[in-house]
Amino acid sequence: MRSEVGDARIRLPDRIARGDTIVVNSIISHPMDTGFFRTAEGVPIPAWFIRDVVVTYGGEEIARFEWTSGISRDPVVSFMLTADKEAPLTMVWTDNKGATFTQTANIAFAAA
Amino acid sequence: MSSGQPFTRRDFVRAFGLAAAGLAGSGGLAGPERLLAMTGSAAGDPEVPNEQIARILKDLFGDRPIRSGNRSNISLDMPAVAEDGRVVPVVIESFLPMTPDRYVRAIHLIVDFNPDPHLAAFHLTPALGQVSIQTRIKMKRTTWVRAILETSTGEVWADYARVNVTLNGCG
Repeated sequence: MRSEVGDARIRLPDRIARGDTIVVNSIISHPMDTGFFRTAEGVPIPAWFIRDVVVTYGGEEIARFEWTSGISRDPVVSFMLTADKEAPLTMVWTDNKGATFTQTANIAFAAA
Repeated sequence: MSSGQPFTRRDFVRAFGLAAAGLAGSGGLAGPERLLAMTGSAAGDPEVPNEQIARILKDLFGDRPIRSGNRSNISLDMPAVAEDGRVVPVVIESFLPMTPDRYVRAIHLIVDFNPDPHLAAFHLTPALGQVSIQTRIKMKRTTWVRAILETSTGEVWADYARVNVTLNGCG
């Protein structure tokens, strides 16, 4: 099945222990059009891209990315995070048309 | 050379630059060549190619020196050859501390000859614990890529990668 614009996934390690610094992987489906291309019929394709990504952990903003259409189609980004509490990790992607796309993954610690 | 790592393309470029500077110092070259050798913040760093890049760097970092040559402070890893400029992987890492007293506040990614050279900015906080960012970018043509970070204490560190682009990924 083809994914819709804005479909997003966040991938966390299978087991997380309190205090681990983990890798967070994310991907969102988005055309990331630069505005420099035309359709086969010669119609300009307007710029349409994610320009802002906000990452919160337990409600606190821990990272913010400013992007341009120079990020590849279906943007991936991975980063590290110290898992010091059980709390939701939320990413909000905003595009240049003002649409926002949200995805959340819960950080929970594996039983010892 | 950086911390016992194998001899890299970057080290080669730096060594070559130093050799060229030595030649200029010997009086073998004069005039514009000599001026050119003196611009840029350090031997081996890529030249600032035009006004647009100069302005981006000035707006971001003012007159602070952009230091380089320490791959534990910042490393930019990209393929030497990108066959498809639409999807070029980027890995940026730093082993600088991520503590409330001192942390990496932002990393800027600048692609010299892209239509919009200041491609991305990553604003970070100590909560991340460590700096390792991966993404994929578009590149128009063969050029230098600059990853430049700024610490909470105002230091600026850069690493550079020269990427040969076969297929224009920007239209």
